[in-house]
Amino acid sequence: MISNIRSLSLRQRALLTITLSVLFLLSIAIGSFLFGEDELAIQMQNKNSSPSLSHWFGTDWLGRDMFARTVDGLALSLGVGLLASSISVVIALILSLLTMWSEWADRIVTWFIDLFLSVPHLVLLILISFSLGGGFKGVVLGLAFTHWPSLTRILRGEILQMKTAEYVGISKQLGKSKWWVARYHFLPHLIPQLFVGFLLMFPHAILHEASITFLGFGLPAEQPAIGVILSESMRYLSVGMWWLAFFPGLSLLLMVGIFDRLGHSLQKLLDPFQGQKR
Amino acid sequence: MRKLLILILILTSILAGCTSTKEETQPAEHNRDNLVLAIGGEPEEGFDPTTGWGRYGSPLFQSTLLSYDDELNITLDLATDYQVSEDGLIWTVSVREDVLFSDEEPLDAEDIVFTFETTKNSGSVVDLSKVKEIKAIDAHTVQFELSEPDSTFVHILATTGIVPKHTYDENYNQNPIGSGPYQLVQWDKGQQIIVEKNPHFYGQEPSFQQLTFLFLSEDAAFAAAKAGQVDIVSVPPAFATEEVEGMRLVELDSVDNRGVMFPFVPSGEETGDGLPIGNDVTSDIAIRKGINIGIDREQLVEGILDGFGRPAFSIADSLPWWNENTAFEDGKVEQANELLEQAGWQLNEKGIREKNGIEAAFPLIYPSGDQIRQSLSMAFAEMVQPLGIEVTPEGKSWNEIEQLMYSTPVMMGWGSHNPIELYNVYSSETRGIGYYNSNYYSNEIVDEYMSQALAAKSQEEANSYWKKAQWDESTGFSARGDAPWAWLVNLKHLYFVNENLEIGAQKVQPHGHGWPITDFIQNWHWKE
Repeated sequence: MISNIRSLSLRQRALLTITLSVLFLLSIAIGSFLFGEDELAIQMQNKNSSPSLSHWFGTDWLGRDMFARTVDGLALSLGVGLLASSISVVIALILSLLTMWSEWADRIVTWFIDLFLSVPHLVLLILISFSLGGGFKGVVLGLAFTHWPSLTRILRGEILQMKTAEYVGISKQLGKSKWWVARYHFLPHLIPQLFVGFLLMFPHAILHEASITFLGFGLPAEQPAIGVILSESMRYLSVGMWWLAFFPGLSLLLMVGIFDRLGHSLQKLLDPFQGQKR
Repeated sequence: MRKLLILILILTSILAGCTSTKEETQPAEHNRDNLVLAIGGEPEEGFDPTTGWGRYGSPLFQSTLLSYDDELNITLDLATDYQVSEDGLIWTVSVREDVLFSDEEPLDAEDIVFTFETTKNSGSVVDLSKVKEIKAIDAHTVQFELSEPDSTFVHILATTGIVPKHTYDENYNQNPIGSGPYQLVQWDKGQQIIVEKNPHFYGQEPSFQQLTFLFLSEDAAFAAAKAGQVDIVSVPPAFATEEVEGMRLVELDSVDNRGVMFPFVPSGEETGDGLPIGNDVTSDIAIRKGINIGIDREQLVEGILDGFGRPAFSIADSLPWWNENTAFEDGKVEQANELLEQAGWQLNEKGIREKNGIEAAFPLIYPSGDQIRQSLSMAFAEMVQPLGIEVTPEGKSWNEIEQLMYSTPVMMGWGSHNPIELYNVYSSETRGIGYYNSNYYSNEIVDEYMSQALAAKSQEEANSYWKKAQWDESTGFSARGDAPWAWLVNLKHLYFVNENLEIGAQKVQPHGHGWPITDFIQNWHWKE
């Protein structure tokens, strides 16, 4: 009985976290639409002002409201993360399904996973995004092509396990095609993993987007990206304009943290094994 | 308990760190004979005048035949006299006989001939293509023969440092020996150079035995200034409003200008390399003039440069060859709108002007990473919005800009002490040569004036033609004439200088930052 309540409250807690997180993320997305040209316009008369009631996060050297810029930046990061993670998940799914095809396919995919995991993440990311010409496209594709390996590895493990399952063997003996087995046995089984993997990939993608933009290889300087805001703010640290870096950085951290919580809560809900863990 | 101990340990070490740096920040003693400068500008190509070192300011290690005073008048330096023949083709320069290089070898006509021949053959930024022959008449007289008259040749003589023939080799740029006030002791690439007084310098003796030039990022340089570790530091406008203990802010006027380059011809053509030329919006003079009248330059100076600058109306503001009539009253949005209206640019439902189905919209490219140009581009875009012109600022690398600059407006900058720059930027002869005249601007009358300026016998005569080329009351290349550019601002070059250090009057600073301030280094001294 007691354990029942506890598991229920854990579930409730997970649900609560999910609701709150989704609300927060939604408000960012909506907020970015609410802030129009006016807030982002250059207003020389109130430039370099520190945080106040009218400008929560202060203003930058062109008098633009940092709160509006931050929300816009977060929304942009959200968009980049969404696109990149989706593509990554699709790549991971296709590659992991390939592994069941034959031993050779499995070896090639494993080799690719090892190859991508052996190169430092950021280096590979810069390489890909730079060779694609940078900008929005470069960053999204760079992120997409570098974030699939760990998820692919997990999915491959699942598939290996399922391959030995009796019902899969029976389906095979009944003459079902590989495609049929993948479609009706594997895919439904992989969906929770895909979903959680997708969400947990988000914080990585967003942080990496911000870092390469910060380094100057990512989004162009006229976009309101968090990485751009942070790298600009570095110039003003020595004159004491701390709010330029502090609030956007904190917001980025907050968003990444929330995505992480969201992913783990979802995992608790969807995965019985994780759900039992304390 | 252990945590507490560690905390105390950390705190005390921090405190100790603070106090020890405090001691170092005490202003240095008065009669110190060395200076530390963080003025940036480490030359990638080294210190070889034959490949362009010193063209923006004093070559420091070498000396020049002529030089400028603080009002940009030409004065004698190595030369004792120079004469130009009637047809403007033969320049005869006689030089001092008592000059030694820092390695104690004498400087004679052979070295000068060698310097200019090497420069001519180096194919560098220094353009000596008009020099046909250089010969030594005797040990201390040199004769230059030009293929066509060129009144700006005097500026070549004033900016080309003389290198010694006897030690010049391919490593000269790392090991410059010359007859300038200082000699190089040590160059730690990417970090610093240390120079010492040249004991054989023929001019006024500098009062400092040793100078150390640190190559720091803007941020690090500013931090060093705050810590009291440098005597002169160059700072961007954003830092200049700060107070630095023991230092005063020196603001130097410059012709280091920023402006928007408009492609002058309609689109359709291509360069030899297949790059597109021309832009259908900016090729309309009403657009260019409307923008020039409509923007408020004073506001740009106040807003973007924190007041550390002045409005720019031409490429050569306040230089001797500047035509003062090129300035006009700006910030007249209504007048600009009227002009655009009359030229047939009608507002469409999006609030953007349109003519013959073409929207008055264009991207404005700036070199990414240059914060002032970025801010200027963004503010410019906002300023032309009320005119019904839509400008989208885009940051690009210089490589990309080189591909796009013949067809897209670019936030550029010029500013030289040599009027040949006017010719380079506005002559039809220089269309599409690198960054020169990337507008593809051409005007026959302007060309005629400029060739008369080049052929002029005296500087005064040349200047009068340069002025006419800008605006002769009916046409010209300035914003009152064809307006191929919208010049916006001249930056001020900002330095924090040790409050006890006197650096004297400076000339109007050129485009290059940093080195020009060392022009009159012999005059620097501690306050009595």
